[in-house]
Amino acid sequence: MQPNPLREGLDQERVPEPSCLVIFGASGDLTQRKLVPGLYSLAHDGLLPSGQTIIGFARAEMTDEQFRDSMKKACDEHARTRPVDDAIWENFARGLFYVQGEFADAAAYDRLKAKLDEFDSSRGTGGRRLYYLAVPPDFFSTIAETLGAKGMVNDPEGSGPYTRVIVEKPFGHDLASARELNRVAVSTFRERQVFRIDHYLGKETVQNLLVLRFANGIFEPFWNRQYIDHVQLTVAESIGVEKRGGYFDSAGIARDIIQNHMLQLVSLVAMEPPVAFEADAVRDEKVKVLRALRPLSPGDAVRGQYAEGSVLGEPAVAYRAEEKVKPESKTETYAALKIFIDNWRWADVPFYLRAGKRLPKRVTDISIHFRPAPYPLFSQQGMKIHHNVLAIRIQPDEGISLKFDSKLPGPTVRTAPVTMEFRYATSFGAEPPEAYERLLLETMQGDATLFARRDEIETAWAWLDPLLEAWKRDEAPLHLHPAGTWGPDAADELIERDGRKWRRP
Amino acid sequence: MNEADKKVDLPSIERQLAELWRAEKQEGERAVTRAALWNVVAHTGSSEAHAHATDVLSRASAKVPQRTIVVQADPHGGDDIESWISANCHLIGGGRQVCSEEVVIKASGARVDHVPPLVSALLLPDMPVAVWWLGDLPDQHDYVELLLDPADRLIVDSSHFKDAADLELVSRIGEQTTTAPADLNWTRLDEWRAATAGLFDPHGMRARLQSIRRLRVISGGDASFGATAEALLYVAWMRAQAETEIAFEFVRQGDEPGIGAVEIHFDESTATIHQERGRGVVVARADGVETSVDCITRSLARETEDLIVRLLKRPEADRVYLKSLKIARGLAA
Repeated sequence: MQPNPLREGLDQERVPEPSCLVIFGASGDLTQRKLVPGLYSLAHDGLLPSGQTIIGFARAEMTDEQFRDSMKKACDEHARTRPVDDAIWENFARGLFYVQGEFADAAAYDRLKAKLDEFDSSRGTGGRRLYYLAVPPDFFSTIAETLGAKGMVNDPEGSGPYTRVIVEKPFGHDLASARELNRVAVSTFRERQVFRIDHYLGKETVQNLLVLRFANGIFEPFWNRQYIDHVQLTVAESIGVEKRGGYFDSAGIARDIIQNHMLQLVSLVAMEPPVAFEADAVRDEKVKVLRALRPLSPGDAVRGQYAEGSVLGEPAVAYRAEEKVKPESKTETYAALKIFIDNWRWADVPFYLRAGKRLPKRVTDISIHFRPAPYPLFSQQGMKIHHNVLAIRIQPDEGISLKFDSKLPGPTVRTAPVTMEFRYATSFGAEPPEAYERLLLETMQGDATLFARRDEIETAWAWLDPLLEAWKRDEAPLHLHPAGTWGPDAADELIERDGRKWRRP
Repeated sequence: MNEADKKVDLPSIERQLAELWRAEKQEGERAVTRAALWNVVAHTGSSEAHAHATDVLSRASAKVPQRTIVVQADPHGGDDIESWISANCHLIGGGRQVCSEEVVIKASGARVDHVPPLVSALLLPDMPVAVWWLGDLPDQHDYVELLLDPADRLIVDSSHFKDAADLELVSRIGEQTTTAPADLNWTRLDEWRAATAGLFDPHGMRARLQSIRRLRVISGGDASFGATAEALLYVAWMRAQAETEIAFEFVRQGDEPGIGAVEIHFDESTATIHQERGRGVVVARADGVETSVDCITRSLARETEDLIVRLLKRPEADRVYLKSLKIARGLAA
């Protein structure tokens, strides 16, 4: 079908065909905080097609009306475009339905299928199906297999309407479990039907990394080992584990943040230009970076855990005193790594990564530290020559800044570092769409560029597994640090022994 | 916040602007960021239009930071030219202010001819230039050409056009110069275009795009050319995008300017699009097809500054508008 010519040039140029989106785990937190509010905001901005249908599937007893009421409250609280506009909501809510059932209850899938079939004609969804698995990974195989057994998955090789499945992280907890999840997925779906969400990839600034690198001529010539001294990535959270103590204690920060979000950022910073801005072209280049990661040396990793302290002026309990966390837990809440990408572009350029909970503030930041000028022309005057730093702030206060030295006004040659800054909020004003909005829209469009592919996931696990095993065997010390500080001293030593320092983000 | 205007000598405008920033940095307790994505030159012919443009662009600069140059030109007055500068500052949270500059030039008599080179000298380098022409386009084409020479965009409002000649002139500028025209009235159509497009999203309806027999566009306002320009652009757009000749009829109803409803007639059925002002939406309905369609599109803000902001947020020339303008010109002739 040709695109609708009347959409040409509109802000809503890319509106997908109407489909049925089934959310498994519809009574959960993700549905209420992100998914339905995100879908509502898309409808508010005119980016959803008329006839778009959303079916919540969960164990809780609920009528369609009760589901709509609870989703309206969720949208009022969490939607980017809140408060809810009554007229838009009324139309959006007409496409909201609920099916009650256990994930293993075959009869519930029959009820679901009957509804889907009905909507295909009454709401024009034409057999197009999206299954969003907002459930723990344990349920993944049950749901996928039952959908397959009930004939609710179309083969993408056929000429029929599409079926896609959207999977939330964690994509396994090690290489073996990731492989098993992927095996289950491809026993029911083809790889190109599987959309693995890493919400970092839906963030505007993360996408802007590609634009910064590949839409501008000035950066790429310097983006290599000849000009770059090192790269730093920081993913800091000021919050602790909150209600996720049980999950987090079995995972740790390396599984929760580094294996997915941080390695995605590393691959976007380090990848070669793709031949096209298309799903497989981009992901081919990303996975090449992951394959080139040098095996981690034990001395290049530091694990830490927050002790009692204070964050943003509020007292914070120690990790081991958090709800659902074992009092003797050795799970890392902080990790710092020095990694290398063994390829022509990045040989011997260290990438320093650090991620942690209960750090002084919430910030995600990438900084590219350039080599100093080749000849210290001004050092005779006793002046310190600083590295140029290109800093990309992913969140909050998204933007890009470039630090360089400038002459201080006056009769003598004295220099001082200054920054040129670009801030999204300053230049563009409008609040960018939530990452989930973008990703939901992309799944409806069938564009997998912003989703992780099977080989990316497995390559990342294969690289990280030896470190996780070593930590499990307690082969490295666990460094405690007070909550509200930038991590243990060992993390500072990791970078300072190379004559460098963590950048204060 | 709009800092008080400061009268300055013409040769020292840039120096005085730099001074303004130095003073802001020294005196302001809050961090001040200077930003600009556009140079916007508003050209007015009266003090009322000048006040309107100043007010609109001051508010628009909160959403699209810009160097604003507001010109008031009166070729019939005594020979004189004066200028003022000020800063438009807006809080963006975190205690930070974003500021951009505003320059006002008032010229009359023979000194009006000095305006285009002065404006050209005051433009920020590397930023695109939009010239917003308030009111009817003048007959003095040399002056317009000089003013438009550095412009990437000419913003007009066809709801103020006197006759089809204005449409003709704008269309010619689009064809013969590197300045892309843009029309606030076209931007008013956004919600109507979105609602109409939504109607034709389903497969069953898409195929019917070629079988539209007639459009009936109901709009309000007086009987002037400008009052029907929005309806004219709508019909031109439908013809351009459907790539087919479609008969049309304009109906004048009510005093509220702008389109109020559209009927799309097929052989055996009719689709309707109408605005529900109370609910703030545009509703599109099509019956008589396999799947009944009911699209709700949020009505967009129609204040002038919102229209300007929407135009400035589109960095490229609007190809669909240019296509439609050409057809509208033919329909109006």
